[in-house]
Amino acid sequence: MKKYFAVFNINLVNSLAYPAELVTRSLMILLFMWIFYQLWRVTFAASGSDVLNGLTLRDTMWYLLLAETLELGRPRLARVISQQVKDGSIAYLLNKPYDFLLYQLSSGLGESLPRMGMLFLLGGALTWVMAGPPPDLVNWPVALVALVGAWLLHFCFNALIGLAAFVSEEVAPYEWIYQKFTFVLGGMLIPLDFYPAWLQTVSKSLPFAYMMYGPARLFVQPDPALFAQIILGQFVWLSVLGGLLLLAYSRGLRRLAINGG
Amino acid sequence: MIRELKFLLSLWKTNLAAAMEYRATFITQSLGMILNDGVYFLVWVIFFDRFKDVRGWELADMFIVFGIAASAFGLVGMLFGNAFNLSEIITGGRLDYYLSLPRPTLLHALASRVVPSGFGDFLYGFISYAASGQFTWDGLARFVLAVLLAAAVFTAFLIIVQSLTFWMGTGGTFTMLAINAMLTFALYPITLFNQAARVVLFLVVPAAFMGAVPAGFVKAFSWSTLGLMTLAAAGFLAAAILLFHLGLRRYESGSAIQTEV
Amino acid sequence: MPAIEVTSLSKTFRTKRKAAGLGASLRSLVRPEFRTIEAVRGLSFEMEPGELLGFIGPNGAGKSTTIKILTGILFPSGGEAKVLGYVPWKQRRQLAYHIGTVFGQRPQLWYHLPAIDTLTLFGKIYELDDRQTKRRIAELAEAFEIEDLLETPVRKLSLGQRMRCEVAASLLHKPKLLLLDEPSIGLDVVAKQHIRDAIRTMAAQENVGVLLTSHDAGDLEALCKRVIIINHGQIVYQDKVSALKRSFLTSKLVEVRYAQQVGADFRIAGTETLKVAKERYGVKLRFDARITPVGKVMAALSAAGTLVDITISDPPLEEVIAAIYQKAENRE
Repeated sequence: MKKYFAVFNINLVNSLAYPAELVTRSLMILLFMWIFYQLWRVTFAASGSDVLNGLTLRDTMWYLLLAETLELGRPRLARVISQQVKDGSIAYLLNKPYDFLLYQLSSGLGESLPRMGMLFLLGGALTWVMAGPPPDLVNWPVALVALVGAWLLHFCFNALIGLAAFVSEEVAPYEWIYQKFTFVLGGMLIPLDFYPAWLQTVSKSLPFAYMMYGPARLFVQPDPALFAQIILGQFVWLSVLGGLLLLAYSRGLRRLAINGG
Repeated sequence: MIRELKFLLSLWKTNLAAAMEYRATFITQSLGMILNDGVYFLVWVIFFDRFKDVRGWELADMFIVFGIAASAFGLVGMLFGNAFNLSEIITGGRLDYYLSLPRPTLLHALASRVVPSGFGDFLYGFISYAASGQFTWDGLARFVLAVLLAAAVFTAFLIIVQSLTFWMGTGGTFTMLAINAMLTFALYPITLFNQAARVVLFLVVPAAFMGAVPAGFVKAFSWSTLGLMTLAAAGFLAAAILLFHLGLRRYESGSAIQTEV
Repeated sequence: MPAIEVTSLSKTFRTKRKAAGLGASLRSLVRPEFRTIEAVRGLSFEMEPGELLGFIGPNGAGKSTTIKILTGILFPSGGEAKVLGYVPWKQRRQLAYHIGTVFGQRPQLWYHLPAIDTLTLFGKIYELDDRQTKRRIAELAEAFEIEDLLETPVRKLSLGQRMRCEVAASLLHKPKLLLLDEPSIGLDVVAKQHIRDAIRTMAAQENVGVLLTSHDAGDLEALCKRVIIINHGQIVYQDKVSALKRSFLTSKLVEVRYAQQVGADFRIAGTETLKVAKERYGVKLRFDARITPVGKVMAALSAAGTLVDITISDPPLEEVIAAIYQKAENRE
C-alpha cells in the first residue's frame, strides 16, 4: 500500500510544481459559474418564483459548482492511458511490480485533488459573491462521501476507455461521448430535478446520475432517503463497472500492441 | 494572390491525403463528433422543454446558433488546424520551419494541419440548422455565408490570443481559456447579457460574431447585419495579422522563450 | 539455471496497409487491406546469469519486440520463454522485482521533477526501506557521476546526463538482469562512452546480466562478450564478440612509416597496396590473415626499409555486421 501512496504523492508534487499553471487552469470555472449565474438568474426571475422543483437559485448555483468542480477536476485518465499506449511509455508502467490499475488510481487521485481543491476554492468564492453563502457545514461530509463514489465511477469509465487504446487506434470519440452523457444524463449543466419525470427515471437507472447529480444534489439538500439511494446506486454501478474493468484489463493485456517494436 | 491561393490549395490537398492515411481516425473522429454534438445539444432541448424561453430566446434560436458555431469551429479545424496550437508552435520554436520557406509564414503555419474531428463539427452545424424548423433554401445560402464570416472572426481571435505568446512566453493554458470563453459565450443566449457584457462580446471576445449576429442574419437577410459581420471579419483579421507580425519581431526561435510547462 | 531461456518465440502484429496517393487512399477507405507483420519468427537462445549479451539488428528487426516480450509487456504469439525462472507474461509482477529496464527512446524519469524524486518513488515501488534507498542512491550517484544532477529538474539536464540518471534508476533495486533497449540512441560520442563505462563497471561489480539491444556496433564492442545478430525477426548469427571478429574480421589493415622514401610502386607479396603517401614515406596495405600470415607480412615490411612506425588494425565492426546482413539477405 505504501507504494501506491508514494505514487499518489509524486503526482501531487508534480501538479503543484507550477502553481501559476494550476491557478490559470482553474480560472475556467469562473467563466462557467458566471455564465451559469446569468442563465439561472434570468430563468428564476422569469418564473416569478423563488423555488423551482425544490431548488432555490442559491441551491442551483452550489449544485452546479460541485458538479463543475468534479467535471473539470477529475483526471483525464482515458486520454492519459491512450497517450501512454501511443508513445510507448506504457512499457515502463507494465514492468514495475505494482498493479497497473491501482497505479492509475493513485496517480489520478494525486493529480486530481489539487485541481479540484483549487477549482472549488475559486469557483466557490465567486458563487458566494453572486448567489450567497455555501450550504450548511453538515451537508459537506454527506456530499463528500457521494463525491468519492462519483469520482471512482468516473475513474472506472475513464480507465475502461483508456484500456480500449490497447486494441483500438482511436479512443477520443468514446471519451467525448461519455463526457456528454455525464452532461446530459448526469445533470451536470441542469439539475436533474428540472428534467421530465421519465427522463429522471432513465437517468437514475443508468450510472450517470450517480456520477454528477448524486454528490451535487446532496451538497445542497442532504436528504437521508436520497443519500441511501445514491450510495446504493454507486455501490451497484461500481461493482458492475469495476468488474468490467478487471475483465477488460486481463483481456486487453493479451492484445496490447506497442509502437516501436 | 493567385499564387498564394494555388499554394493553399495544394497544402489542403496534401492535408486531405494525410487525413486519408489515417482514415480510421478521420472517420471515427468525425462520426464521434457528430454524435458528441448531438448529445450535447440535448441539454438545451431539455432546458427549453422546461423553461420555454430565455427573454425571448427560444430553442429554434439555439439550433441555429449551435449550428453556426459548430460549423465555423469545424471549418477552422479543417482548413487552419494549427490555429488551435499556434501558441505551442511559437514556444516550441517550430515557426523556424515556416519562416525558412518562401511563403507567407502565418498562412502556411495555420494551414499545415487538419483537425480530424473538424469535418464532424462542420457537418453537424448543417444538421442543426436543418433541424431548427426554420430551414429555407435561401436561409441555407445565408447560413453558409454566415459560417464563413464567423470562421474568419474565430480564426482571427485565435491568432490574436496566441500572438500574445510572443510577449508572455507561454500561452497554452491561456489559449484554452480563451477558446472556452469564445465558445461558451457564443452558445449561450445573448439576451442574458447586459450592455456592458455585450460590449465585451462584440469587441474583446467577439463571440457575438460566432453566435447571435450570424444567427440573426440566417433568420432574416439584412444589409446592415451583413455589413457588420464583414466589417468584423475584416477588422479582426487585420488586427490579427498585424499583431502576429509585430510579435514575430520578438520571436527568438524558441531559444529564449523557454516554455516552463 | 540460465537467466534467459527462449524457445521458438514468435510474435505477429496485424496492421493496415497504407496506400500512396490520394486516390488510392480514398479507395482503401472503403476496402482497407490488412497485412500481418512477423516481428519475431521462431527465436531461440539462452543467456547465462551475469552474461553481457548484445542483441544487434537494423531497425524493425524485432529487437524491441523481443525485449518487450521478455519483460512481460507483450504476449507472444507462439513459443516459450523463461526469464530468471519466470514466464514473463504470466508472472510479470514477480519478475519485475528482479529486472531493470531502460528504453532509450522513452524517458521514465518525471520530466518536471528532479531525478531524486523518481528514484525515491522507485524505492517505494520496489519496497526498499528508506535507509536502503538512500544508500543505494548514493552508490549509484557515484558510479554514474550524477551526484550534482539529482536535485535538478530532469527537463534541465542534457540528454547524456538524463540517460545516466535513467540507467541509474533502473538499477535502484539491484536487479539480477538489466534489459537495455537502445540505451545510447541519440547521444554524442563522449556521452556514449560515459554511459558504457558506467554500465560495464556496475555490471561487473554486482554480477548483473545485461541484455542490450542496439543498432550501434560500438555499444556491442564496448559492453558485450557475446552477440546475437537478428534480422527480420530471426537469428542470423550468434557467437562471442571475439569470435565474430576472428571469423569475419579476416582482413587486416596495416599502416607503416619508413625512415626513407619508398618507391611509388611499393608492393609486398600477398597484400594489396591501398595507398602510397605523396611524400612516399607512408604506405597503407590490406591483407587476409588466413592466406598470408601476419608474421610473414611483418617480416617483408621490415625487410623493405627502416620502419619508423607500424599499426595493424581490424576494420570497424559496422562493416562486419553489414556483411553479415548482406549474406543473410542473399540467402533469402
